[in-house]
Amino acid sequence: MPTNNIQQNSKILTEPYIVFQLGETTYSINCKFVQQLEMIEHITPVPNAPDFVDGVVMSRGQVIPVINLRVRFGLPKSQITLKSRLIVVKYQERTAGLLVDSCKEFINIPEDTVKPPPQLVSSVDNGFISGVTMLGEKPVFILDVAKTISELNNTNM
Amino acid sequence: MNTEATNNNKLISNITIVDDLTNQSHQLYSNTTNINNLYSQTVDQFNYINARLKSTATQTDTISASAEGILSSLNELTASIEEISRNFDALSASVNETAAAVEESTKSIQNTANTAQEMTISATEVSNSMNEITASIKNISTEIDSVSTTTVETAAGIEELSKSIQSVSNSANELAVEAEQTTSSINEMAASIEEVTTATENLATQIEEIASSIEETSKSVQSVANNSEKIKEASSSSATAAQQLDRSIKSVATLCKQADEISRRSARDAEDGSLIIQKSINSISAVKASMEQSTAIVREMGKRTTEISGIVEAISLIAERTNLLSINASIEAARAGDAGRGFAVVAEEIRNLADRAAKATNDIATIINSLKEVATEAVNKSNDGLRIADESARYSEDGLAALKRIVSGVMETSSIVSQINKATEEQLLASQNVVTAVTNSLNLASQVSAATAEQANALQQISHSTLQMRKISQQVSVAMNEQSKAAKEIIKAAQNTTKLAKELSTATVEQASSAKQISSAADSARKSISIVTRALAEQSTATEQITTEVNRISQMISSLSKALTEHATATRQIFQATENIKRNSAKSAQIIKEQAHAAREIQNLNQKTVKNVSNINEEIKQLAHTAENGLGIIQQINSNISSISNIARQIFTHLETLKSNFITIKTRKRNQPGKTKPIEQKISPDNKV
Repeated sequence: MPTNNIQQNSKILTEPYIVFQLGETTYSINCKFVQQLEMIEHITPVPNAPDFVDGVVMSRGQVIPVINLRVRFGLPKSQITLKSRLIVVKYQERTAGLLVDSCKEFINIPEDTVKPPPQLVSSVDNGFISGVTMLGEKPVFILDVAKTISELNNTNM
Repeated sequence: MNTEATNNNKLISNITIVDDLTNQSHQLYSNTTNINNLYSQTVDQFNYINARLKSTATQTDTISASAEGILSSLNELTASIEEISRNFDALSASVNETAAAVEESTKSIQNTANTAQEMTISATEVSNSMNEITASIKNISTEIDSVSTTTVETAAGIEELSKSIQSVSNSANELAVEAEQTTSSINEMAASIEEVTTATENLATQIEEIASSIEETSKSVQSVANNSEKIKEASSSSATAAQQLDRSIKSVATLCKQADEISRRSARDAEDGSLIIQKSINSISAVKASMEQSTAIVREMGKRTTEISGIVEAISLIAERTNLLSINASIEAARAGDAGRGFAVVAEEIRNLADRAAKATNDIATIINSLKEVATEAVNKSNDGLRIADESARYSEDGLAALKRIVSGVMETSSIVSQINKATEEQLLASQNVVTAVTNSLNLASQVSAATAEQANALQQISHSTLQMRKISQQVSVAMNEQSKAAKEIIKAAQNTTKLAKELSTATVEQASSAKQISSAADSARKSISIVTRALAEQSTATEQITTEVNRISQMISSLSKALTEHATATRQIFQATENIKRNSAKSAQIIKEQAHAAREIQNLNQKTVKNVSNINEEIKQLAHTAENGLGIIQQINSNISSISNIARQIFTHLETLKSNFITIKTRKRNQPGKTKPIEQKISPDNKV
């Protein structure tokens, strides 16, 4: 799994990101928001929850809500496989778990390669994308964790 | 101090993570060892399957060879049955010829018998007319005897007359008395001459009758001669027919012997074929058993594959978890900042190894799927092979039953042929008897022919002698007439004597000369009559001989008739026998046609069996090939597993290093209190992959 082949120059600032798949699209999250990764064992369903919330799980003594990112982004639901991952993110004392198809890569993305998202995409995705970068030939969207999680409050979770 | 606690907690959590990784790698290692064991078992089983398949292939080769042997035996059998068929056709033809010859023979014999009958009738007629002739000749003889006596008396009377005339010339006185005596004697003489004349007239009539009856006899003897010639011809044609019969019967006998030999050979061939088919049936049962074993082993292998599938899934899970843990480790390392740089590198390497493990297990999963497909194919092929073996077993059973039928049919044919053999031997004897009888008939007919020819000659001679006799009797008649005339003149003269005594001496001289004439006439008459008597005696003897000859011929003809009747009976028997042989040979021909049909059926069945056996061979070859493929696949899996083992061992080593590093760090931190380091620092990346 290749990482960005950047010169060993302390001047170039990079940030560690984890890269995950959702359908055909590749997204990434800055590691400073990420607590850990988990495999899905069992999701306890919660009645009267919004449709993008599948339920809750226990992780390291904590009860974490599970947000189905496919539903969040308007994609059709899919089966939970061995590769499905729960990305436990934390933002401003709020913890949540993002259910994704797979999460295999851990890369350092240089800051200057991050571009703002194209207009069409940002409007469709409800502003969850904060930027876009290139990973070899592939475009990788950078997820805005704050927006993804903060919407929860508005919907009275 | 808070940050230190947080750092310590982070370190502890790192160590926990490392412990988790270590456990996971242990599990990975033990699982790969399990897989190794299972795979070596599977390899053993595959090797066993290979060996079984090889032995099965050898057995099907044996079956192939046996089937080939059966095919060639059956070809021979079919050829010999066809030979028998041809021989029986020839036999049928010969028997038909024989039957026709026998019919002809019977007809000619019938003709001969009829002709012999006619001949018998003619001969009987001839015999009867000869008897009549003999009787009439006897009558003539008696008549002639009486004539002879009368003539002798006449001669004696004339001598007396001479004497009395002499005494007249000597004594004229006694003339009147003596003249009266002479007149009475002359009257007596006249009367006797009249009697002689009548007698000779009767004789002439009778001789005429004899002549005509001899002519009739001559004609009938001629017809008998003609008939006997016909009989001779008929007998010679019978002889030819009998010889033909003899030849055809001999050829039938030879054909029967050949047919007997051939049917015995066919019986032996069918027995051999029977044995070979029995062996085939046994081989097919062995093949079936072998295939069932192979199927069971393949099913076992299927179970092992399922177990391996489960273990591979476990390994996959472990690889995923390892990946997850490595990412978590990287995240923690990023959070630790500078201090976590080395940790981040190690975590990266662990992730790489986990990815390789995941890829390897994916490969194994694919290989196992293909292996399962191979096993299913193998089971299907085995089932096909079992089905084909069952079919072949059924065909072989059918072939065995058909061969048994052939053997019994050949036995029947053999017994029928022996019967035919016996019948032809009897025929041969009978025909030889017929030939002898016909030769005898031929000889008899020739003798009869010769005898009747002689008879004809004799009768012709008799005809001649009767003509002569006619002439002689006519002469005698004439002589008698002259005698009568002379006697009448004498009477006149004697009557004139009493009146004219003077003219006596001249008259007596004339009388004397007339008496001399009469004497000589009577002498000549006597001579003629004695000639006639001799001729008649000879005729009598000749006719007696002819009668004896005719009786002999009659007897010969009756014996000929008997011989011909026997001949006819013998040929009727032969006819019956040939009819029997015809029926038997037709039956045998039918049986042989059925046998040929059965043999052709067996040939078809055998060809089907051969095809099936070669199919089985093909299936087995494919099975062996599949097994070899499976073996190759298993070896690939083995190498993959060993690489996974290596990977696990490397992970373990790395983790150990990591653990020791952490412990070192921890102790270093404890030994350096008060030194605070900025934790949340942006770190420069290490470009170690």
